[in-house]
Amino acid sequence: MNTRLKEDGSSRKQILITSMLFMGLGHIVHFKQYIKGLFYALFEVLILFMLPTILRKLNDMVTLGIMKPDLPVKERDHSIFMLIDGVIVLAILFIFVVVYIISVKSALAEYKEFCIDKRLKTNKESISRALGKSFPIFGLAPSVGLILFFVVVPLIFSACVAFTNYSAPNNIPPNNTVDWVGMDNFVAMFGGEAVWTSALGRVALWTIVWAVLATATCYFGGLIMAVVLMDNKLKFAPIFRGVFILPYAVPSVVSMLVWQNLLNGSFGTVNRTLMQLGWIDKAIPWLSNEWLAKFTTILINLWAGFPYFMLLVTGTMTAISADLYEAARIDGANKFQVFKKITLPMVLYQTMPLIIMSFTHNINNFGAIFFLTGGNPVVSDSTITSAGGTDILVTWIYKLTVNLMKYNYASVLAIMIFIILAPFAIFQFRRTKSYKEGEF
Amino acid sequence: MGNKVIKRINLTIVLVILTIFSLGVLYPLVYVVSAAFSPGNSIASLSIIPFGDGFTLEHFTHLFNNTNYLIWFKNTLIIALWTSILTIIVASLGAYVFSRFSFTMKKSMMLLMLILQIFPSFVGMVAIYVILLRIKGLDTLWGLVLVYLAGNIPYNTWMVKSYVDTIPKSLDESARIDGANHLHIFRKIIMPIARPIIVFLGITSFTAPWMDYIFPKMILRSADKQTLALGLFSFVTDKKNEFTVFAAGALLVAIPFIIFFIITQKTMVTSFGNAAVKE
Repeated sequence: MNTRLKEDGSSRKQILITSMLFMGLGHIVHFKQYIKGLFYALFEVLILFMLPTILRKLNDMVTLGIMKPDLPVKERDHSIFMLIDGVIVLAILFIFVVVYIISVKSALAEYKEFCIDKRLKTNKESISRALGKSFPIFGLAPSVGLILFFVVVPLIFSACVAFTNYSAPNNIPPNNTVDWVGMDNFVAMFGGEAVWTSALGRVALWTIVWAVLATATCYFGGLIMAVVLMDNKLKFAPIFRGVFILPYAVPSVVSMLVWQNLLNGSFGTVNRTLMQLGWIDKAIPWLSNEWLAKFTTILINLWAGFPYFMLLVTGTMTAISADLYEAARIDGANKFQVFKKITLPMVLYQTMPLIIMSFTHNINNFGAIFFLTGGNPVVSDSTITSAGGTDILVTWIYKLTVNLMKYNYASVLAIMIFIILAPFAIFQFRRTKSYKEGEF
Repeated sequence: MGNKVIKRINLTIVLVILTIFSLGVLYPLVYVVSAAFSPGNSIASLSIIPFGDGFTLEHFTHLFNNTNYLIWFKNTLIIALWTSILTIIVASLGAYVFSRFSFTMKKSMMLLMLILQIFPSFVGMVAIYVILLRIKGLDTLWGLVLVYLAGNIPYNTWMVKSYVDTIPKSLDESARIDGANHLHIFRKIIMPIARPIIVFLGITSFTAPWMDYIFPKMILRSADKQTLALGLFSFVTDKKNEFTVFAAGALLVAIPFIIFFIITQKTMVTSFGNAAVKE
């Protein structure tokens, strides 16, 4: 093969073909960049060497193993390991394809420079360039590796499980295998099985109501406190602020467990206090009546959550120019007008993204529900679905996984969370500075 | 004159309301403190008036002598420290690369990270369990640190990247002309300027592991590997109610946190403000 390159750009096709033929070949043949080319080639050799394993794993992923009841449990096909290995192999193949594309692109870029410089780079040049260029790779390698294996692979696995029958009692490896069932779980959850469908509707609705109310109460609670405490005529404002920050400083597991005990229907301190004061005759079922429990979770969440927004609003309010207030004062605006026309719009505008983040956080606020009510009280369908009166989607996922071992239904719920939250993620993305400035 | 009186009354009313709210906010906290020092075990036997049962230190001695409290504390501290340190390193390095370099797939990687951070990490817990099993990370503290670290990266990389974007590129360029390499620029120029956001990141990733329950529960099995959340939770399960011991243990965790928060309150306010504005 003629390895001499033309300087007018007409050898582009030749480079494209060589570098696509085998990873790194273009670098070696045309540009004499042996080290770089060898690294690329080595990677492809490695993948080719593992090809039989890769194919076997992919095949396992498709079949998910076959029932071998005669074998001892340890030697039977473990469908879940097969599925996870399959996803991991897919991830590795994905990396391979990406590196391949990068290698071809880099060869073409190299050629472009050759056409401009009319000569090949010396070894020294290309090594020092490679070191500079490889910084992003080293810088991102830990992030990419961790995210790939501890976030992406688990999530893809979990999405896959939604299309299998991985659930107790009949399909739990290693005793039994798991099979692909297509859309069966979705059909069951969305109309197929009445109990599950109604539970899903109930929990999904409550998740959204909870997230809206929890965010709104905390935000306005924090806003009001921040505004009141900003008033410089108020004595002791720093002391009050110090007190109000306390719930935020206490780890939430601790405070939720404390509230759970204080509000306990039979022996809780709150009820005993109210009874001894003579304000109530019989215990208030704070956590055992479905509707009251819902109210209680929002109330306690307000207790735990308003300090965050108080801090936040205080922070943004100090950034509002004092001239603005001065001008309003001279124009004769009263306090309420100043609040409505200046403070509120400015603060809302500044904190809007954090309100949305808080909303998505509340959709996933496992701790606030699980440690306070445990998802209880029990309602009519709880014995079958395990979803209680205050369960939100995430706590239900937890119960389905840990208590009922219905991983397939749990995965359907995870996909639902994705559908609810994806628009917010995209919204967040679109308002980032880099998006607005056309970096994308 | 009348106006002034009305203002006075208004102010007094506000003060009274604030005091009532303060009592509401303090109520559970005071009660925990009192429970920690009260004799008896379950919450049912406690007086409804804080500190109404007398005073004892037996729950604290019980914690230190008869339970693994110190081990839980040590484990949690190790996990939190490593998670915090590694998150700072990995996320800020990634943020620097995303902010200053352009490369293939950058766009899709950033969008992917933004989408990934909306999932609670335990959605994939079965797979995480199996992966940790494969790399022998089950029942180890570093396994848990890896899981936390991976979960922290997507969002925090974005957060730090947005901050680094605001640092003028001319600073890097002048350093590069002076012969500094990328790592040097990152360490000596970017990191010091990005300090507010790094501190914020350090604090949030340090505090999160103290409160987490699901992953320790899933990953850590043996008695000497438990964390505080697991240990404390075990005192107030359905089976036993040792609220006073729980309160004593909770108090010992919460006090350093509260002192820390009150000291850093001012920094937190500005950091929050920064995080809000710079995003």
